[in-house]
Amino acid sequence: MGAEKRTTPGAFVVLAIMGIAFVALPLGGLIQRTPWSRAADVLTSDSSLTALRLSIVVATSAAVLSLVLGFPLAWALSRSSFPGRWVVRGLVILPLVMPPVVGGVALLAVFGRRGFLGAPLYDVFGIQLTFTTPAAVLAAAFVSFPLAVLALEAGLRSLDTRLEDAAATLGGSRWYVLRRVTLPMLAPQLAAGLVLCWARALGEFGATITFAGNLQGRTQTLPLAVFERLQTDPEGAIALSLLLVAVSLAVIVALRGRFLAPR
Amino acid sequence: MRRALAGMGSLVLLLAGCGGSGSERSEITVLAAASLTGAFTRIGADFERANPEVTVRFSFGPSDGLATQILEGSPADVFAPASPKYMDQVRSDGPGVTRQVDFARNTLAVIVPSDNPAHITSLADLARPGVKLVLAAVGVPAGDYARGVLENAGIQKEVLANVVSNEEDVKGVVQKVLLGEADAGIVYRTDITPDISTSVRAISISDGVNVIATYPIAVIDGSGHTPVAEAFVRFVTGPGQATLKKFGFLPPS
Amino acid sequence: MSLIVDVQARRGDFTVAAAFEAAAGETVALLGPNGAGKTTLVATLAGIDPPASGRVDLDGRSLDDVAAGRHVPPERRPVGVVFQDRLLFPHLSAVENVAFPLRALGVARREARSRATDLLARLDLVERADARPADLSGGEAQRVALARALIREPRLLLLDEPLAALDVRARAHLRGLVRRELIAFAGVRLLVTHDPVEAMSLADRMVLVEDGRVTQIGTPAEVRAGPRTPYAAELVGMNLFIGRLERLEAGAGRLVTSEGAVVVAWPPGIDGSVEPVIGLLRPADVSLHVRPPEGASARNVLAGTVASVSVEGERARVRIDASPPLVAEVTLGSVERLGIREGTRLWASFKAVEVRVQVI
Repeated sequence: MGAEKRTTPGAFVVLAIMGIAFVALPLGGLIQRTPWSRAADVLTSDSSLTALRLSIVVATSAAVLSLVLGFPLAWALSRSSFPGRWVVRGLVILPLVMPPVVGGVALLAVFGRRGFLGAPLYDVFGIQLTFTTPAAVLAAAFVSFPLAVLALEAGLRSLDTRLEDAAATLGGSRWYVLRRVTLPMLAPQLAAGLVLCWARALGEFGATITFAGNLQGRTQTLPLAVFERLQTDPEGAIALSLLLVAVSLAVIVALRGRFLAPR
Repeated sequence: MRRALAGMGSLVLLLAGCGGSGSERSEITVLAAASLTGAFTRIGADFERANPEVTVRFSFGPSDGLATQILEGSPADVFAPASPKYMDQVRSDGPGVTRQVDFARNTLAVIVPSDNPAHITSLADLARPGVKLVLAAVGVPAGDYARGVLENAGIQKEVLANVVSNEEDVKGVVQKVLLGEADAGIVYRTDITPDISTSVRAISISDGVNVIATYPIAVIDGSGHTPVAEAFVRFVTGPGQATLKKFGFLPPS
Repeated sequence: MSLIVDVQARRGDFTVAAAFEAAAGETVALLGPNGAGKTTLVATLAGIDPPASGRVDLDGRSLDDVAAGRHVPPERRPVGVVFQDRLLFPHLSAVENVAFPLRALGVARREARSRATDLLARLDLVERADARPADLSGGEAQRVALARALIREPRLLLLDEPLAALDVRARAHLRGLVRRELIAFAGVRLLVTHDPVEAMSLADRMVLVEDGRVTQIGTPAEVRAGPRTPYAAELVGMNLFIGRLERLEAGAGRLVTSEGAVVVAWPPGIDGSVEPVIGLLRPADVSLHVRPPEGASARNVLAGTVASVSVEGERARVRIDASPPLVAEVTLGSVERLGIREGTRLWASFKAVEVRVQVI
C-alpha cells in the first residue's frame, strides 16, 4: 500500500453535506412551492416591481452610507490607540446583536418626530424623517453598519503599513497615499464589505417597518411586500421571496466569490 | 355567575362523558383579531380560573393573516376575526367551522396624538393636504372598514393620498399615533383603552358614515379539542359579554 | 551639500545613538551586525520615526530638531529610500511604481510615465516596464526600487541592505550597477549593510554601529588598519583581543581577556598595568601544529580544537576554540596535509611581537 493522500475525514464529509442541506433545502422548498403558473403575474405586478426597485435603491444607498461612515471608524479602531477602544467596538457591534425591531424603536427615539434629534428637525425645519424613503435607508444602514466596520477593520489590519511609510518617503501626502496606495490595496475587503452590507440591507425588515413604516413606492421594500402578501396569498409571497433570493444570487455570482478569495 | 356555573358544569359533564379520567390538562389555541387583545386576554384568564385544568393560548393578529395561517394548517381551535369575511374563508376554503355565532360589534374612531400636531378636529380634516395618516393595510378588517368609512363620507380619494403607512394590524396604527409619528389614524373605538387615553385623543365619527364591524366566533373543525373549544365559545357569548362591554365593544345585536 | 546627523533614535525599548557626517558625492556605509540599530537609523533619517533627541540637517536645512520641536514629515524630505524588502506597490506595474513619486508631486500621467520609462531604460529594465512586482525577479525588483527612489532626484539616497535579498549571482551582477548609479548620484549616499564586502567595495567611509552605538568611523583602509572592536576586526579579517595589559617580564606583557591571556611585546611609552587595550593579530601569523611544538621561540602556544574551516580560494581560515579563541589562515595544502578538520585537536602558535598592542 502506497502513501495515501490526506482526504477529508468521513465525519466531516457528513457534516459538510448536512451544512449544505441546511441552506439548500429551504431554498428547494421555496422553489417547490412556487406557483409557477402564477409566478409571472405576481412578479410583474405593480406592487412587486415597485418593491423591487425600491429595495435595490435602498440597499445600495444603505451599503454606501455604511461604508462611508464605517471607513473612518475602522481606521481609528485599527490604527490609533485611544482610550475606550473596547467600548467603541462594542457599540459598533450592537446593531448586529440587537433585534432589528428594537433597532427601529431606537431610531424612532432619535430621529422620530419626538426624538431628541428629530424634534428640533421638525420644529425648526418642518422635516419629519419617519415614513420616508431616507428613513428606510437609515434603518437598513443601521443594521449593516457593523458589517462594514468589521470587514474594513480586518482589511486595514492586514495591510502592511510599511508600504504606506514607503509611499510617504516617495513624496506621497497622507491624502495621496490613502487614495493611491491604501484604498486600492483594500479593494478586495472594500468589495466584501459592500456586498455584505448590501445583502444585509436588502433583507432588512424589522427596523424598516418600525421606523419607516409600510407604504408602496416609498417604504415598502421587498421583505415588507413579502410579509404583507403573506397575510392573504402565501404562494404569491413565496414567488416574491424567490425574487429576493434570485437578486442576491445574481450579485454573488456576478462577483464570482472574488471577495471571499484571499489576497 | 349562573352562567359561569353552567359553563363549568357542562364542561365537567362533557369531560366526564368523554370517559377521560379526572384532571387531564387541556390546552386550546385561540386565534383572535388584534382588536380583541385586551378583552380576550381577560376573558381567557377568567375561563382558566373557572376551568383550572384548561390553558388558553392566544395568537392575536390581523384577521387576514390569521385566516391564512388556518388555511395553511396551523393548529387552532377557535377563530374570532373582526369580520365575517374571514370566517367565511375558513369555512369554505379551509377546514370548516361549527358553532359560529356573532359575539360582539365595534365601530371606528379617529385618533390623534394628545398634542394634535395637525389640529384634526373631525373626520373631514383628514382630507387636508399634508396630514400624515396611518391606516391598517388593505385586507386587514380595520383597514377595509376605515376605507369604507371614508367612502361613506365621500372623501376616500383625498384622504388616501395622505396615507403614509399601511400597518399590518390595527395595533400598529395605534402604536404610530401613540409615538407621535403619525398625525392621525383610524382605529376601532375599543382600541382607545384607559391606559393610552392620556396620550391620544379620540375624535368620533358620525353614525351616518361610520361602519359597524361584526365579530363572529367559531370552533374550527377537526381541532382535536372540540369540547373545550365549544365551552370557550359559550363562555365568550355568556360570561364574557360583560368583559367585552367593559372594553367598549357593542353587544352582538 | 551634506548630511549632519546627531540623534538618539528609539524603537520599542531599544535606543541607537549615532553622530556622523556625510558630504555630497560621498558614499557612507552604515555597517553593523543584525539588531545593531541600522534600520532604526534609516527610519529616522527617512522621517518615518522621529528621533527621541538630537538633530538631522541636510544641506543646511533642519529636517529634525527635537529641542526646537521641528520634524519634517517624510513626504516633504528630499530623501529617496530603497528599502530592505523593496516595498514595491503590488497593485502597480513597474513603470507605475517608478512614476509614483512624480504623480504624487502632481506631474501629469504621460510625462511621469515617460520619465519613468527613461530611467528604467538606463537600468536595463524597459521590457519589464509593465510587469507587476510579483512577476519580477529579485534583481529586477531591486532595480525598480532603486529607480523609484532616484526619480525625484533627492538630495539624500538611503539604501537599506539593497543586495541582501539576492542570490550570489544576482548580487554580483547588481553590485556593479549599484556602484555605477551611486557614482552618478550627486547627493549624499548612505548605504546600510551587514555585508563587509559590500561596504568595503562601495563605500568611501564606514560608520560601524554595534548595539545601538557608533563604535568606529573611518575609510575602509583606516578600519582595516586599525579596527577598534572585535566586530570591526572580524570584518577586516583580523584577530582582536581586548582586555588588561600586565607586566610579565622584561619586554613582554600579558594581555588578559575574559576568555584567556596572550603574551605580547610590551608597547613603548607605558609604565604599569593598563586597561583596556586591544591586541591585533593577523590570522596569517598563526601557525598550526598537530603535535605540541617544542623549543619554539613563539611565546604563545594555545591548545584547542578546530571549530570550523572555511576555504576561500587557495587559503583556508581555521577557527579554533582555545583560550582565547582565534582564527588562523593557512594554505589549503596545509589543511590537507595536516588533516585539519572540525574537531581536530591542535596547537596554534604565534610570536609575542606579532600581536600589535594599542591602548584604546
